[in-house]
Amino acid sequence: MSSTRNRLVTALLALWTVLVLMLLYVPILSVVLASLANTRYMRFPHKVWTLDAYRDALGQYTTAELHLTSLKIAVLVALIAVLLGVFGALAFARFEWRGRSLYQRLLLLPIFFPQAVLGLALLLAMTAAGIAPSWRTAVFAHLVWVVPIVTLVISIRLYGFDVAQEEAAFDLGASRLQVFREVTLPALAPGIVSGGLFAFLLSWSNLPLSIYTTGSDTTLPLWLFSRTATNYSPLVPALAVIATGASVLVVVAAALALAGWRRLVARRSA
Amino acid sequence: MTTSGPILSLVGLTRRFGEIAAVDDIDLEILDGEFFTIVGPSGSGKSTLIRILAGLERVDSGAVLLRGRAITDVPANKRPTAMVFQSLALFNHKTVGENIEFAPKMRGVDPAARRARALELMDLVRLPEAYYARPVTRCSGGERQRVALARALASDPEILFFDEPLSAIDYRLRKMLEVELKDLHRETGKTFIYITHSLEEAMVMSDRIGIMRAGRLVQIGPPLEIYQQPRSRFVAEFMGEVNVLRASEFGVAGEGWLVVRPEQLRPLAPGEAADVVFEARIVNDYLLGSRKQFHARADERMLIGEIAVAAASVPGPGEPVRLGFDLGDAVRVAE
Repeated sequence: MSSTRNRLVTALLALWTVLVLMLLYVPILSVVLASLANTRYMRFPHKVWTLDAYRDALGQYTTAELHLTSLKIAVLVALIAVLLGVFGALAFARFEWRGRSLYQRLLLLPIFFPQAVLGLALLLAMTAAGIAPSWRTAVFAHLVWVVPIVTLVISIRLYGFDVAQEEAAFDLGASRLQVFREVTLPALAPGIVSGGLFAFLLSWSNLPLSIYTTGSDTTLPLWLFSRTATNYSPLVPALAVIATGASVLVVVAAALALAGWRRLVARRSA
Repeated sequence: MTTSGPILSLVGLTRRFGEIAAVDDIDLEILDGEFFTIVGPSGSGKSTLIRILAGLERVDSGAVLLRGRAITDVPANKRPTAMVFQSLALFNHKTVGENIEFAPKMRGVDPAARRARALELMDLVRLPEAYYARPVTRCSGGERQRVALARALASDPEILFFDEPLSAIDYRLRKMLEVELKDLHRETGKTFIYITHSLEEAMVMSDRIGIMRAGRLVQIGPPLEIYQQPRSRFVAEFMGEVNVLRASEFGVAGEGWLVVRPEQLRPLAPGEAADVVFEARIVNDYLLGSRKQFHARADERMLIGEIAVAAASVPGPGEPVRLGFDLGDAVRVAE
């Protein structure tokens, strides 16, 4: 009796899980399906299944240029955000100082602005300052929004960190720099990796800030948005799939690099 | 180098946090090779004091001398001392071996010599060689204690500081480690300065004990002297449960208090005499292995006594009893 009920509960739970997963992945799947058509209008199933859109996407110069622009911005954003995030997190969670709680609030404020408002504000400020918008200003705009998030991600590592470890290293003869390199940085490493990935992906996929701040340069999300609005063809979903693949590649590469580094460290110490 | 002189001298050492003096004008000399324990309740300033000695906390005034040379402003990484922290502060991302080799590595010792030294120390603190490559996060509580100890010893310190490292450890393991620490002190011949809130722990290990209260050392002496001749109520009560009685109530001239240990307050046989006698009633009793401790009420006064289980039949809870002690057994304290 009770085993029948258990089986029923298990079945319902499995059904629920599948439904939630479908909610998450069916829209993404529909992009893949749309990219395999040769018509501007989605009518499923397709009359003709084709990879023409991919051939076109890979054949034209725009694809590479869009990827390059987005990559350039995202890599710079990730690097700068991690650098600022590490020291920002130390100020956020490691040290007690006057004005810390004000700093904590001010730092997080940009996250609460709607990005469209933030983008407009940045554009107005830059115009007033006489700075021409380009991919470089987009880096700055993304940083305004991404740095608080990266700082938070790294701070979480610091909250679980026993500060006495730094004192112990100092007590055992390490210089301040050695303490940072030998103790603080390794403790922060997982936060730095996940913070960096966050920064990359948030920048890579950002539309609202880029709309205002890229000037004549075009990022992938920008191109996808404008082509969907004005001149749709299966090229759009094809490029979307390629761009998604690229970001997955970055995450996998980062995970492999991290695992490789860990193995190297382990072998060196063995 | 004289072996009998003080290795560490504290002169008028003071450290304030706002209005409160955590360390208040302390003078102290610690002898070379001594096991000195500072005992005090939380908030007495003992942690601040040991952090000053290690170079991790600055002073407001006063001086610290190492073999007569002032080291007051020398930072922790330049002092020939090492601390075992309360949290142990092991480097969680490193292995047992890497933890122990940290100080030699910072000093630029080559890997082979470092490793040899680490294995030697692991043997000294009774860690199996197989633990060398094990992450410290996979070690038990007792093993982590040993790693922390070996790591501190690896810097070849002249003085080892201990900031309550055993406070979070269960009773049996703590007892074992106390004895091992005392053995280690004898084997290495180094100066150990230990702080704890447990006088019992201090008694087991120390050559001398300093009792700390509100930033001051209120009594310093060998364990037995502190136990037998407390100089104040505070020290006496810190030793454990005692009876503190106003001296003037018992025909002793002058102000002050009589401290009577539980084992000195005995149930009297019919007709047996004592300098001070209470007609009391047992409230409760509990067994301490071979001895039994009891609480008794005499009028409004609560008394605590102790008796060997084998010695006599002690009245049970609720029964009347005559309790007595001799003035010669009581310790007189002024405050």
